[in-house]
This record gives sequence, C-alpha cells and structure tokens, in this order.
Amino acid sequence: MAITLMCGAAIPSVQASDKEYAIKAGFLYNFALYGRWSSSFTERDNFVICSQDHNFIAIANRVLGDRNVKHKPITTQTISHSAASIQQCDMFFVSANTQENWPTINHQQHQNTMFIGETEHFIKQGGHIRFFLASGKIRFEISPKHLKQSGLSMSSKVLRLGRVVER
Amino acid sequence: MFKTVVALSSLALCYHGNVVGADLLPALDIESLMSMDVQATSAMKRAETAFNTPASIYVLTNERIAHSGAQSVPEALKMVPGLVVRQLDNNQWAITSRGVASRFSSKMLVLIDGQNLYTPKFSAVYWETLNVPLYDIERIEVIRGQGGLLWGSNATNGVINIITKNSFDTRGIYADMATGSLTNYQTNFRYGGDIGSKASYRVYGQLRDGEPSSTALDLPPVDNIEQTSFGARFDVNINDSWSGFIQTDHTRSDYGQNYRGVIDETNLNTPLSGQFNRKDIRVMGRIENRISSQANQMLQLSWLEQTGSHIYLEEEFTSIDADYQLNFLYQDLRFDLGLIYRAIDVNFNDSPFIFSDTRLNTLHQYGGFVQAQYSIIPEQLKLIAGIRSEHNELTEWEHQPLVRMLWHPSPRHTYWASVSRSSRIPALIEYNDNYVINGTKVKSILPTETGIEFIDNYAVRTILNGNNQVDSEKSTSYELGYRYSDHKWQLDLSLYRTQSTDATVLTIEPDVHLFDSFFNHLNQGQLANALDALRSTSISLDMVSNAELNTYGGDIGVSWQVSDNFNTELGYSYNHFEYDLQANTFPAIGRNSTSKQTFFKADWRYVAGQNLFAVLRHEQSNAYNTDNYTALDVTWNWAISDYITFSLIGKNLIANTHLEFENTNETYTIPNYIDESITGKLAVDF
Repeated sequence: MAITLMCGAAIPSVQASDKEYAIKAGFLYNFALYGRWSSSFTERDNFVICSQDHNFIAIANRVLGDRNVKHKPITTQTISHSAASIQQCDMFFVSANTQENWPTINHQQHQNTMFIGETEHFIKQGGHIRFFLASGKIRFEISPKHLKQSGLSMSSKVLRLGRVVER
Repeated sequence: MFKTVVALSSLALCYHGNVVGADLLPALDIESLMSMDVQATSAMKRAETAFNTPASIYVLTNERIAHSGAQSVPEALKMVPGLVVRQLDNNQWAITSRGVASRFSSKMLVLIDGQNLYTPKFSAVYWETLNVPLYDIERIEVIRGQGGLLWGSNATNGVINIITKNSFDTRGIYADMATGSLTNYQTNFRYGGDIGSKASYRVYGQLRDGEPSSTALDLPPVDNIEQTSFGARFDVNINDSWSGFIQTDHTRSDYGQNYRGVIDETNLNTPLSGQFNRKDIRVMGRIENRISSQANQMLQLSWLEQTGSHIYLEEEFTSIDADYQLNFLYQDLRFDLGLIYRAIDVNFNDSPFIFSDTRLNTLHQYGGFVQAQYSIIPEQLKLIAGIRSEHNELTEWEHQPLVRMLWHPSPRHTYWASVSRSSRIPALIEYNDNYVINGTKVKSILPTETGIEFIDNYAVRTILNGNNQVDSEKSTSYELGYRYSDHKWQLDLSLYRTQSTDATVLTIEPDVHLFDSFFNHLNQGQLANALDALRSTSISLDMVSNAELNTYGGDIGVSWQVSDNFNTELGYSYNHFEYDLQANTFPAIGRNSTSKQTFFKADWRYVAGQNLFAVLRHEQSNAYNTDNYTALDVTWNWAISDYITFSLIGKNLIANTHLEFENTNETYTIPNYIDESITGKLAVDF
C-alpha cells in the first residue's frame, strides 16, 4: 500500500463508513435548521429526510430519530426514485451507491425538496449541495442558484462554511 | 471572533461522552461536525475523542483560544490544567508536564501539524520565536505523560500537538490589532480563498512590538521584542481519496535578554544584557490517501531551520524529516504503522562559555512504530499494544514499547490503564559540549583556608562537561485513568508513577593531583606561581547517567456545563519529583520537589454577543526557587457585529509582580519579574 502512494495509482471511489454517514446525517440536520423552504413546507406534520440508500437511512435514523426541525419531528424514509415518492420528501440524499438513478430524476419538478449528494458532478447535474472530503473531514459545495430554482435558500451561516458554486 | 452558533457543550474537558445516535456522533452542531474525521483511523495524529483515548489528554479548541485572548502559543497553553507553564521573562518560557520545567532539556515533544520542533543542541523548544497564528489553530492536544510516545522520541513528560486548520476553513479576511501595557502593538492579517474547485490557500503575516518588564534581577530589564512573521498554506483535494497541503512560516525575532556568562579571567559569572536575533523557517508538505473507508496512508516531508545569534553565541540548526504512516482496520483489529527518517545539521560556533569536544554537526535518526488495537469486547474492552524503535547516532537503538487497556462498562464511563517505556536521547550539551559555569572558590575546595584572601577567594575555572558516555534516560510509566461524561458533567482523573533509570546528573570526580602544583608553589612561598598554577587549573563537573528518578502524582479535572452559555472547569494536579542519587552526584535539571496546581476556568456568554473568560491558577512548588503565586487571566469579548470583536485582556492579575522561575543554575537566562498586564484587541473576521 505504501508503494501505491509513491506511484500515485488511481484508487476507485471509496465506500463510506458508518461514521461518515453519521456525520453527513448531522450535516443534513444543520441544513434543515438553517435552510428555508417556501410556504407549502408547512403542509406536512413531519420533516422528512429520504434516500434510496437504506444503509444511510438506518444511520440517519439512529442519529436524528429523536430530533425536531422547525418544530416538527424528523422522520427518515427509504424510498424509490419515482416522482411521487420524492414529492413527500423535504430532503433527498443521493448516496454514491444510488447515484445511477440521479440523472433520471427531474429535480426541476420537485419544488421544496433539497437534494444533497456526494458524487463529483452532483451539482453540475442539478443538485443543491454536494459533500466532499478534505483531509479526512467532510466539507460541502452548495449552489444558491439551484436552491433558488427549487424555491429554497440557505442561511449565510452555512454558506460561509461551504464552497459556493453556481451562484 | 466568537460565533453564537457554537454550542459550548462540545468544548468541555473532553468531547462529549453522551453520544448521539448510539455512539455514532459526539455532537450535532455544525462546527463540531466539521472537526470530525470520517475515518476510524487517523494519520493526522489526532485523537478520535478525548473520552476514548487511553492517555491523560486535554484538548484546547479554537474557540477557547479565541475567548482567552491569548496572543502566543505558550499563553494558550496556560489554559491546560496539569501543564507547567512558567515565564522566565516577557519572551521566554519553561513548559512541561509531570516533571520540573526548564528553559532547556525539555522532555516534551512539541509538534505543529506533525512537524517535530525538537532541537538536539539544548533539547529545547524556542517558545519565544514560535509563531503559529492562533486564530487559525483548529485545536491543541496536550498529552500529559508518556501517552504520546509513539508520536516521537523525547516525549517522556508529554506531547503538545498543535493542529492548524485546513485553508478551506480559513477563506476570507481576518485582521486584528492589539495594544496594551506590555504590547506596543501586535497586529495580524490573514487572507484566504479558493483556487478553482479543488484547492484553497491562505497567506498571513504578523508584526509584534513588545515592551520590557518593569523589574528584573541584577540588571535593568531588556526583554523587549520585535517580531515579524509571514506564512502561507495551500491545500488541494484532488478527490475524496487524495488530498495534500504545503505550508510555510518565516519568523524573525529580535529581543533582549539578561543572562550570565563566564567571559573573563575572574572565572565568575558576569551578569550581561544583550540582544538576540533569531530566524525560524518551517516548511512542510503532506499527501494523504484514503485507501478505503478502513484504511489510509500519509507521507509528510518537513524542513525546519533555526538560526540564532548574539554577541557570544552563534547557532544554526536544520532538520529534514520524512514521516510515512499507514492506518487500517481489519475486522476487530486496528493497525497503525509508521516510518520516520530525520537528518539534523547543527552548527554552533564555539563561544567563551560553550564549546564542543568534537564536531558532531550531522545526525541521522531513523526507525518506525507499530501499534495494534484489538476489541476484545466490541464497544467495551480494547487492548492496545505498540512499540516505537528508533536509531540515533548518540545512543544507537532505542525501543519504546507500550501496552494499554480501555474499558467502557457503559457509554458514560471509561476506565483506562497504561504501561509504557520511553527513552530520552541526551542533548548535545550533555553528550558533546563543555559549558563554562560559575567558578568554584578555592576556600570551598580545600579542606582548610590558606588565610591569603585573594587565594581563598579565587574562583577556579569550572566546566560542566558533557561526555559521550552519557546514555539515554529510560522511563517506565504506569498510568491509570477514569472518565465520566454526561451532558452537564465531565470528570477526568489520571494517576501515574514513572520510574526513570540512567538519568543524567553531574558528578565531581575529585582528582587529588589537580592542585599539586599549586600546593608546591604555595609551600615554597611562591604566591605568584601558585596563582599561575590555579589559573591553569580547571575543575570538571562531568555529566553521568547513573541516577534514578521517581515521579508520581495525578490530575483531576471536573467540567460543569452550567447552561448552554456557561462552562466551568476545576482542576487539581499533584506532582512529586525525586532523584535517587549515587555518591558525589547532584542533579543537573530539576530538583527533589513537590508541585501542586489548582486550576479554575470559566467561559460565560452572559448576554448575546458578550463573553467573559477567566482562568485562575494557583501554583505551589518548591522546584523553581520562587514563592507560590496565584494568577488570574480575565478576558472580556464583545461582538460589536457579526464581523467585529473587541476584547479587553487582563493577564497575571492579582499575582502582582512576581517571579515564576529562578533555577538560574540550569540556564544562562536571568529571569525577570512577571507583570500584570492589560491589553485591548480589535479583530475583524469575514
């Protein structure tokens, strides 16, 4: 493995650990706290975090299961990528394992759903927030323009901690 | 700059033990999340959480440093309970834990982002010229005792690991300006930004002009300082698997110092005042590779150059370090492996009072470490074993093994135990150099006085003689610890006993023939010839490593999170230090002593935008030739807006003008009295 470093061989994308997903779930909680949804947001009783990745949802449920956001209890759901399913989500996490369906999701249709991913071209493909790793820690890119197109916005408190792209 | 978003609760004695999501996350505030490593293994030598570390560790966060108003790393270290932090004057410090602190012959390993600052000449860290921009420090981890010995040699008493922020987290403008009773001005500026979508950078600079003390021993105080620093850091994240950074710091310091030296034929120490000029350059680069979610590796190269000069001393020290680390998990086993190489170049011009036996300019160290951690009962009981083996040219191979246990009977309780063995490689001043010290009067050597006053009072040249027979000091340390943590209370208790062999001490080997010529001339009434004989005689105090040293004691700290906005800490440390000496030997560094420290800290945001921070330390010790003292540091921070903070910083209040260190036999520095001071600081951060 040491030799790998010396000669700089390409390494395929790394499978996320439980700890990584727990921290990402923690970030989702903060995006929920500091994000703003338009008026139709108030129609639901719960704040719904969704993903097609059941492993992520299981971890997110452990981390956030007893939390509230904007006076609503958080619920987590593993769903399919159908439009009807996504319609019931305030947040939708696209994991590296479930990214193949992402380009087929017409996110323009989904006003009031915040799309968060972790793959390299996620924002270029229309996503709102993308996690990346820097020196073993989680950082994020965020597109205010894409958020606005979906009727969403994010507090400057969060914007200044991330890398703002696609303004 | 303090931001209201941060929950103080994540900043207590150790990170939260009350876990979110059944042990997955310690805290949910965004700043805490940004500070967490995704890997269970860390090549960065960062502790996972203090709560789960089987060593006596204390973590000082960026927010605490900002609230404290500290203007230098040593000042920040005053906030660490159980750490001995004593000032010799306005610039120089003696810092250690679990032992007796000294300006030189430190047994603390000090790292900045893993770069080793150890200098082999005096085994010292030049705290007075160490520049790390405090506003860009992510955290300072202090390990008291031998818990960090895998990180490097010379860590018998502990490790201070200063970790700076990734430049991604310091994008924007920061500037501050401070002035006060001991600071004419100190100003900092940093600018950081993105380079495309893969990289970021920061550049920074500092100007400092410090006043001398009001009172000194023997001579008027001259401990003013003019310091200029600039530096930069560049980080690149190629993808989620590969990242790296390069950073550099250049610091130039011109400062005054009172010292003693034997510079003439009287053979007696003369008090002197002088200006020192020092230049410190650090450059380091690191590549990190995440091989999988269970493994990572790191290669780090660093270069350190320190030059210092004044009228009697010229020294130049360069070190090049290469470190490689591999960390991986395999089922219930965790492995940490490392390889190190260090090349050191020391150039030290002979001076009237320090000169070398042989030219030992270039030294090489190489070796590695391995550590395995096995979960005997998952999430409950861990066994850790490791060894660091290193070769150096002075004492050949040194092996430092350790065994540790960590037991979590429930999420709120942690018990740990550790047995470890460390080596301290002698400094060149102990191994190779001769240091002319205050002469020994004839009347104190001879069994009876001659009755001739100028003969009886004549000081014979006396040399502290380092020699290559000196061995490394080997210490075996037994440690026990207990931690409790819930959302309001944290308790951290550690007890230790360290037994050292081959400790370096001084010996007088009485040579009966040394004064034969003098006596012959004296008996024949030839006073002039007798005096000539004395002038050509010198007494040698040889360094020998034949002493045993026993230290024992403990630290207890309680942290109480009174509310979300109010955190308090109370600490008590006890350290007993005792030599077991052979005949005709006496200590070179430290003396038989007992030191006690009582510590109180409070961090209180009493209204939105206003914060009071206080540290009260009572130091009780017979190790430093000084009176006991109680010092209070208080800082008031006022966030005028989201971007502007004003701070009023009071240091060493209620202590009056006091001495903190007067072991002048261990160092040529003459200490000054430490003054109370008031400083005002305005900071802009956006």
